[in-house]
Amino acid sequence: MLETQLRQAATVLLESAIRIAPPDSRDWGRAMMGELPYVEGSWAGTLWALGGSSVLAKQALASLIIPGHRGKGIVPDGGLFAKSATLRKAALAIGAACVLVAFLFFAAPPFRQAFRVALTPWYHMFQIASRNPEPGFKTLAGRAEQRHDPEGLAFCAVRMQDPRESARLAEEAVRLDPNLLWVYAVVALRHPGLSETGPWVERLERWDAQNALFHLITAESIEQAHFRGPELTARAPEQYPAWQSAMAAAFQSPTFDDYFDRVAQLNRRVVRRYSFYDPYEVESREQIDLPLHAFQNSERFAQLLLDSGAALEARGDRKGGRDKYWTVARFGQLIDSQGRTGAEHGMGTTLQAMAYKQFQGSFTEEGKKAEAALFAYLAAKFDPGKREHFGVAGDSAFGEETSERNAAVVQISGLMILVFCGLMFIATAILIAGSRRRAPLAAKRAKPVAIMVVLSSAVGLLFSSITLYLTYRPYWYIFQSAILNGDRVETNDFRYFLNFTPALPGVSPRGYHVLVNALLYSGSPSFLFYVWTGVTLLGVIGLALILLRRFLGRAHNHAP
Amino acid sequence: MARPSDWRYGYELSRETGLKSGTLYPILMRLEKYSMLEACWVATEEGVPPRHTYRLTPNGLELARTKLAEARPRSMVRQPAFCNG
Repeated sequence: MLETQLRQAATVLLESAIRIAPPDSRDWGRAMMGELPYVEGSWAGTLWALGGSSVLAKQALASLIIPGHRGKGIVPDGGLFAKSATLRKAALAIGAACVLVAFLFFAAPPFRQAFRVALTPWYHMFQIASRNPEPGFKTLAGRAEQRHDPEGLAFCAVRMQDPRESARLAEEAVRLDPNLLWVYAVVALRHPGLSETGPWVERLERWDAQNALFHLITAESIEQAHFRGPELTARAPEQYPAWQSAMAAAFQSPTFDDYFDRVAQLNRRVVRRYSFYDPYEVESREQIDLPLHAFQNSERFAQLLLDSGAALEARGDRKGGRDKYWTVARFGQLIDSQGRTGAEHGMGTTLQAMAYKQFQGSFTEEGKKAEAALFAYLAAKFDPGKREHFGVAGDSAFGEETSERNAAVVQISGLMILVFCGLMFIATAILIAGSRRRAPLAAKRAKPVAIMVVLSSAVGLLFSSITLYLTYRPYWYIFQSAILNGDRVETNDFRYFLNFTPALPGVSPRGYHVLVNALLYSGSPSFLFYVWTGVTLLGVIGLALILLRRFLGRAHNHAP
Repeated sequence: MARPSDWRYGYELSRETGLKSGTLYPILMRLEKYSMLEACWVATEEGVPPRHTYRLTPNGLELARTKLAEARPRSMVRQPAFCNG
């Protein structure tokens, strides 16, 4: 049964090859077909058909690329028994065309950005090794300083991880353009330990008197000075009157503005002005979230208010107690309604849930079941465990799984481009070495393998480039529409995608972040570095061993 | 070379030389292209495709003899290298 099927398959294969072969090669195909019934064994017959089909396919390809190649001519270099020069030319033409098209992709901005994104994990690795975390921003800041461009400086100040450099750039930006005063708030929010925070907040309060944000910054700077400074105290931050005053002022403030809208507008102008199209720096850092300390301080102060309210209720002052609860609920509503980021909404809902639970207890104790039920409903509605406000806020069109898969495809494609380029470089070097008159015998013998490697690498390079381009293209359009038009409908998809790309394929993003944090803050390469360096080295050693074995085997076979 | 006037089948040549179809046929094609080889079709039993048979032309025969003559001294020089003594 199997034998018959194999015979049939071999016949069909050869017939198909004859059909695609150029007219002057079809007789040869029929000749191979004529021999097929006499080949002993079904597997041997299949191999016979495969060999014959490959000959005809090569002829078809050669006639397609170099029409009329079958014309009579001189005996090709290498004699009658050497590989066909026409086929070699065709192979090289295909290889050259693949390489050319692959490199033409680099002319397309989406491809360049995709390639940069694809190499991010490796870049991070070497970036850590060179201890230069923000080369892009440093260069950009230098250009902005040269041009005396306050917006360029503000753009860098907002994103710089180095607090001192960030403060310096912010000061310079505001000096050049006082309308950029809000930059102080964003920088101080990210770096509350700065000595400039006090004077900055004073200026900000005069400029935007009702914003709760400045009080949150003040509270954190007080905590940093007393609680996280070099002289650790046994007192909790809530025991400091200054911290309490700052938090009380924040909870009483009628407005909340994190200025992230202004950051986004600044972003759009500066990115275009400097052609700074780094998606990580532009997009993932655009929505600078409310830092964790603001969340922790607010929750701590809310608990303080709720406890004091409960104490008042216990002493019989129910109205005084409920006023405290309302303060917490109102601040939660303010942050939830005026905040723009996931953490802000999360913070707002958490505070509201805390306050409503307290109300529920208060009304239950009083015996007012309807009110108690209402607040129980509200507490459940705002329960942060039931609302997905944390992390990246908003909807996603592609879904997290698609973004993760696309990130892996982009990374692997980018890596394969490098691998194929490397293989082509090595094989071309062997070809050049083997073409010299006094070339070593091994180099001459390696030429056919080198040609095969060049050709297959060229095809692989083209395939990887096309895959990379097509996979990244939708994200490029999202990035463009976000930067140029401020259309942020699908930016969450882009963020999901970017969140996955720094992790090497096969390493989970969560695990990766833990490892990268360990790398960033300890400064020493750890597990991730060793794993991927090991994998790469093993691959290179394996390839070298295969090639060595082949060449040594050949040399041995031809030895006198 | 033993019976140069004999017509030979492709599969027969493949078995004798140990060359696979993918290697043998390009050589046959090229030899035929440069008039070193002549080919003709032979009808066999009914329902089975005709077979192609080959033999060297006088030019091909001369080339083969030259190549063999060139190869023989080399193989004779090499021979001691394979001897135990």
